Amino acid sequence: MRHGSENVKNPDPERTDTAGVYAVSVQNLHAGYGSREILHDLSFQIACGSSTVILGANGCGKTTLLRALNGSLSSTGRIQILGQDLAKMKRKEIACAMSMMSQISSVYFSYSIRETVELGRYARSRRTGLSSHDRDMVDQAIEMTGLGDIQDRQISQLSGGQLQRVFLARTLAQETPIILLDEPTNHLDFRYQAELMDFLKSWLKKKTSMPDGTEVNNTLIGVFHDLSLAAGIATDMIFLKDGKLLKQGHKGEVLTPSILSETYDIDAASYMKETWGNFLQELGDPDR
Amino acid sequence: MKKYSFSMAITIVLCMVLLGLCMGIGSVEITAGDALKIISCKVFHRPLPASIDRSTVSILWSIRLPRALTAFLAGGALALSGVIMQAVLQNPLASSYTLGVSSGASLGAAIIIVTEFTFPVLGRFLLPVFGFAFGFGTVLIVLALTIRFDASMHSNTVILIGMVISLFVNALMTLVSAFAGTHAQQLLLWQMGSFSGKRWYHTGILLPVCIFGLILLLFYARDLDIMSFGDEQALSMGVNVHRSKLVLFLLASLLTGITVCFCGTIGFVDLIAPHAVRKIYGSFHKRVISMSFFIGGAFMAICDMISRTLFSPREIPVGAVTAIAGAPFFVWLYLRGNKR
Repeated sequence: MRHGSENVKNPDPERTDTAGVYAVSVQNLHAGYGSREILHDLSFQIACGSSTVILGANGCGKTTLLRALNGSLSSTGRIQILGQDLAKMKRKEIACAMSMMSQISSVYFSYSIRETVELGRYARSRRTGLSSHDRDMVDQAIEMTGLGDIQDRQISQLSGGQLQRVFLARTLAQETPIILLDEPTNHLDFRYQAELMDFLKSWLKKKTSMPDGTEVNNTLIGVFHDLSLAAGIATDMIFLKDGKLLKQGHKGEVLTPSILSETYDIDAASYMKETWGNFLQELGDPDR
Repeated sequence: MKKYSFSMAITIVLCMVLLGLCMGIGSVEITAGDALKIISCKVFHRPLPASIDRSTVSILWSIRLPRALTAFLAGGALALSGVIMQAVLQNPLASSYTLGVSSGASLGAAIIIVTEFTFPVLGRFLLPVFGFAFGFGTVLIVLALTIRFDASMHSNTVILIGMVISLFVNALMTLVSAFAGTHAQQLLLWQMGSFSGKRWYHTGILLPVCIFGLILLLFYARDLDIMSFGDEQALSMGVNVHRSKLVLFLLASLLTGITVCFCGTIGFVDLIAPHAVRKIYGSFHKRVISMSFFIGGAFMAICDMISRTLFSPREIPVGAVTAIAGAPFFVWLYLRGNKR
């Protein structure tokens, strides 16, 4: 990931096998709602196979950035997905390359868990019905999210955490090499947070076949509010402030108290020492 | 789908039986045997048995059959329209009238009735054609304004603009009604809805529209499933939301518009049928679309039968029957759902 590079060739060719292109390349991106611009002139690249976490204070434009990357928000500038111009791609082509799990909202109509996950196959399956490969992908997604035993249950009867897992399963069933996650751990308890993180780490080591047969390294782009989860999953980070790119780079280079202080307008070093330090001290020896 | 196949088949057969009953019930009693003989002779162009009275044949074949079938198709069309509006707007209370089609159609009809405007080429289709043109015109204005203010056609924008334009057109309608004079009653009756005097040509126009609507809607069933989760999720899953919305809104307007201009404004069917189907068969739209059509159709045929027989020989507006039967039924459905 490099800022403002004109050359969109991947600097680390070992991390991708898709003809050296980036998973996502953004140049001079401006986006917002109506006349209100939220994102101002962002430029960055995200390498295939990386896990990039977007960090920033509330309202700085993290979700807006995910929406713009997914093409669900009109924007100006240039966005490329796996080397293709987003503006020239059809919706189904985008949905074969990139899926997005939004923050969960109200469910107006009730479907069974399996029916909901099957909808994730929309872009890849035919209108006439699901193929055996489609069903296999749905089965895998349901198993991976631990929903196998309750797959016939109606989603209106589920807790927030279970619903979150259903939407994650649907996102996985979409079978895309790039996944955008908007606060995926919001409704999950400690156990499922840990399971999700483990799952995402193993998913990141794999590749996904595109409809044309090309194998692409899996890439994750996520918004996490919990810094410990963000640090646990990220290889790269993007810091946003007031809709502008504050900093980006490999986690080890940019996850520093000074950048956190600048991002969140707090004395990050003191806060982390007080809260995390005390917590870790209270937790004591993990083997006890 | 397989899980529900048997109960869906039973329900469709039951709806057909109810439709048959609606044809048989009336001031002149026609036995099921006679009815079947008359229908088979007419369909296969065979001579009618001498034992069957010619007036019975005329009542069944020329009056009750087209009337009941028209009511069935109108109910089915309104139910399909309701399915579209509820799923696309992600609002279980949205109705096929949300886009202002009935307000526009009523204004068009009112102008024709009050001004006594004639256009010989259109003949008896003058009122429906003008009603449909005004209804569809209103929908186009609503959609154009929605796109003008909100290119993504967000559900709340569509509902809000639909409401505003409906209120405005209703106000114009009230203005026209103020000059109705001797035509006031005709106007009122048209607005309240009726299947009185419906003939085979009404059935002949509604049938292809309904078949077209059913096929197109089944083609868009998965889009409806996905769009019912919201625009952002639908876009993310690959649905061309803007195009699908436009096609589906126009289809809903066609189905509602054609019904309103032939039969007047009849409420509740579009609201109740999809709700009842979702409670029984779940929300998967391949099931919801087909079953809403049959259940909406059967419900309308029964309401029409009640409207013509309850205070026979006096007929009451079918819109009043659907509302009286529909409102408590809807409350019951809603409360039953909440208890679960």
